[in-house]
Parts: sequence; structure tokens; C-alpha cells
Amino acid sequence: MTITQVILIALFIYLGAIGSIVGNTIGWYALGRPLVASFVVGIIMGDVRTAMIVGIPLQIAYLANVTPGGAVAWDLSYATYIGTAMALAMKGTVSNDAALVGLAFTGAGIGGVVGGTMWNVHYALDVFLNRWAERVAARGDTKRMWMPNVIGGQLIGFACRFIPAVVVLLAIRAAGKTTGINVPAWFLTGISSFGSMMAALGMGIILSFLIKERYDWAVFLVGFMLIIYFKLSMMAVAVIGVVVAILYYAIIQNTKEEAF
Amino acid sequence: MAKVVSQKTLRKSFNNWFFWNGCSQQAETMQGIAFAQSMAPAIEELYNNKEDRAAALKRHTTLFNTEPQLGSVCNGIAIGMEEQLANGVGTPEAIQETKVALIGPTSAIGDSLWVATIIPLLLTICLSLSSSMKTAPWVGPVLYLIIYPLGTYLLSWKIFHLGYKAGLEGIQSFMASGQLNHIMQAITILGLLVVGALTASYVTFAFNIDVKVATNVFNSATQTYASQVVSVFNLDNVLNSIFPKIAPLALTVLVYFLYTKKNWKPLMIMLLIFVLAAVLTAIGFIPVIGAFAA
Repeated sequence: MTITQVILIALFIYLGAIGSIVGNTIGWYALGRPLVASFVVGIIMGDVRTAMIVGIPLQIAYLANVTPGGAVAWDLSYATYIGTAMALAMKGTVSNDAALVGLAFTGAGIGGVVGGTMWNVHYALDVFLNRWAERVAARGDTKRMWMPNVIGGQLIGFACRFIPAVVVLLAIRAAGKTTGINVPAWFLTGISSFGSMMAALGMGIILSFLIKERYDWAVFLVGFMLIIYFKLSMMAVAVIGVVVAILYYAIIQNTKEEAF
Repeated sequence: MAKVVSQKTLRKSFNNWFFWNGCSQQAETMQGIAFAQSMAPAIEELYNNKEDRAAALKRHTTLFNTEPQLGSVCNGIAIGMEEQLANGVGTPEAIQETKVALIGPTSAIGDSLWVATIIPLLLTICLSLSSSMKTAPWVGPVLYLIIYPLGTYLLSWKIFHLGYKAGLEGIQSFMASGQLNHIMQAITILGLLVVGALTASYVTFAFNIDVKVATNVFNSATQTYASQVVSVFNLDNVLNSIFPKIAPLALTVLVYFLYTKKNWKPLMIMLLIFVLAAVLTAIGFIPVIGAFAA
């Protein structure tokens, strides 16, 4: 990893964080998702193929990273950018894809904790912006109302995201340079089985949003069985799902009209 | 002459919200500062003197929080009410009360429909594209990076405009008509099918118990007995022959149960999974009964 790469990745960690200058839709919900983040790191480090090998399992594990009410315990942007960067920087030390994924999850664990801590610092420091905003509001200064939010929020946000990210990435850079690091096999096996078990966390939390009636479990099981018994691809299930949803909508709309 | 907020100002107000709603989140007013920024262009156009502007800005720097992407309806409604107020209809208190009342329902719809359903769904589709195209894995992220922000921007703007045009009553009657419910039910079915398929495809959970014994196996080719290690009991294989992938399914249901019924925090569940992974990996390395042991 070169210094330029470190700075570029740290910049994207900031852009993919909550409340960055590009907005949450482009930032947190797009640049911050593991699928996109690993792709970006792949471009920066010149190895998109390897980046996607670790990006896909990371995305599956963190699929349901929902942050209700701004409660962030786990910073996804931090986790996946650092996880992918670590896997790419240290890929020389491991022999197979599973071990590479293990490295990515290790990096994601470190990144997630650092990012989560920095989010809480950000969240606490932002309180002072209220005093600034109150003063602007009291003056009725509509032209400057953007300043506490954008300037104040971005200064704090950038400092909380960019600087710690550079520090962590520099440490990874140093580790990547030292040859002869021997990551033990049991560790990589453990961490990659943790990664694929983590997918259950994502699914379980999404289910908590989707399941409203008992019979909803039956629909969930149908999806499950389409894979295990009918061996369909994910894409095929998605297409079937869309068709079923459209038919269901048409039917309930019609029955409602007939009822009147 | 009646005061009206121009299209240009509406767009400016919306953009202020869409791009910078999360800049200054904190525990005191949540997204209050960002909401005031979003309202500023409209307030400038509606009120001419400093006192009115100050009063209006003040009532929008107070506590506000929502899922910002679908919650743009609140900004639309608030601008509509400010416009009426500038023309002498309604009270400042009514605007405050409406905003507070909108926090709950808009967050709930936004989080469950957009954040928990549409985003994972779109990610899943792009993910499947990437994993099925070994030579061009970049297709998935590039597609997501275009479709998600663009689609969300257009929808969020439409909802914002709807809020402004239809006002609180209009939104309430739309919600009462049940159409939104039907859309959500249909999307829920799609979501359930996809999550079921994802669980089967990607969640893994193995006990790694594989009891092996060294025994003499008769080799029919050479007509001799040779010492060999054979597996006599593999727990994972037994479970899979009862119902394929029953263990990953059970783990997913356990997470659901802990999260919804026992109110465990996601971080706690993550710790539990970490401990489980550590223990089961360790079991896998125990000689004779472990799956990874020679």
C-alpha cells in the first residue's frame, strides 16, 4: 500500500460514513455498503478481482446493517473499507480465498470498533452545533442557516473519520510490508466461519422487520426450499419474488374494490 | 397577493435536506439543525422581515428525527404549512405539533420499507450478479451505485412534493386508503422469499463433530486388510440428511428470537456468534472427534 492509497481509502471511509458531504443516500447507503466499498478499494489498490472475493462475503454478513434512530454500534463503512484493504495489503501472507476472507473479517472487526467509537465521539461533539444554530436562527439569518450544519458538521465529521482511518491504515501498511508473518490456520478457519455465521445476524434482523403474521414464516420457508430442493440461483428467486409480489398486489387491490 | 413558494425554492429546500440531513446528528435535537437548513430557503421567500424569519427558523431548529429518505414528506408538509401561515392560515404551534407527530410513523415506514427491505433486496440482486459473473464482478457494485442513489433521489423528491401539495390531510387520507399497506404487503412477500433464499445460500453453521475410528478395512482389490481412519458419526451430515441446512436455519431463527423476543442488541448477538464460532472451530480441531483433525 502506498501513502496515496492510504489517503484515498481514508477519504472514501469518510465519504461512506453517516453524514458525509455527499449525503447519506450516496454515502452511507451506497459508498458505505460492503459490495461497493470493496469495489472502490479494489480500484484504488489495483486488484478488483481479489477485492470482490472478500467483498461478497462481507456484504452478506452485514446485509441487515440497519441503524434505527442513529444508534450506530458498528460502523459499516469503516469495517468494510479497512477489512478489504487489510485483505489486499496482506494477501501475500495467505494461500487461499478462505484465508483471505478470514483476513478481511479480522480487519472489519478492528475497523468496525474504531468506527463505532468515532461515531459516538462525532455524535457527542455535534451537540455544540446547536448553540451555533440557535444564534443563526435568532438573527433570522436564512442565508447562513447552512453553516452550522454543513461546515460545523463536516469539520467534526471529517476529523472523526479521516484521521483515525489514516492511522489504522498505516498500521496495516506496516504489517503488510513485514514478510514472514504467519497467520495460524486455526485463526483463519475460526474467523471465516464467524463471517459466514454472521450472515444469520443479518437475516434474523431483516426477518424482524418482515414477519408480521405467523404464516409469514411459510413464505420465508418457501424461499429457503427454492434453494435447497429446487437448486435455483438467487437471481431466479428474486425474479419469482417480483412476479409473486405483483400478482399478490393485483389480487388484493381487486378484492378490495369488489368488496365495496 | 398570496405568497407561494416557487419551484426553484422547493428544489433548493429538498436538496438541502437530501444531501445534508445527516451532517449534524446529535442527541439533543437529532436532525433539527439539518431540518432548519432545509427550511431556510422557503422561510426566506415567505417572510420579509427579520423577526418573522427568526421565529420561523427557531421553530425548525427544535428536535426532529426520521428516516430521511422517505421522511422528506415531512419537509414538504412543513413547507406547505409555513406557506399557509405566511398567508395568515394556521398557527406556529400547529406546525410544531405536526412535525413531532410525523416523527414516529415516517421513521417506522422508512426504516422497515426502505432501509430494511429495498436496500437489502437491491444489494442481493447486485450481489448475485457479481458472484455469477466471475470475469466481471464489478457489474454488481456499479449497478447498485447508479440505481440506488438515482432511484432514491427521484422517489424522495416525489414524496417531498407530495407532502407539499397534498399536506397532512392528503397524506393521511392516502395512508387511510390502504394502498400503502397493500404495497408494503406485496414487497414483504418478495422480501420474505429472498431472505429465505439468502439464508439457504449464504448462512453456514456447522458443529464440526466428526467421530473417526481407526479400523481395518478390507480392500477387495488387493484382498487384504489395511488400517484406515473412517468416520463413524458426522453430526453435520446426519442433520443435513434430516433436512438440508437445518442448522443454518435454526441459527437464523435463534437470532430472530433473541432480537425480537428477548430484545438483545445486535452487538450482543454478534458476540454470541463470535463465541459460538470460536468454540465450534476449537471442537473441529480436537483429535478423533473434530472435523478438521486428521
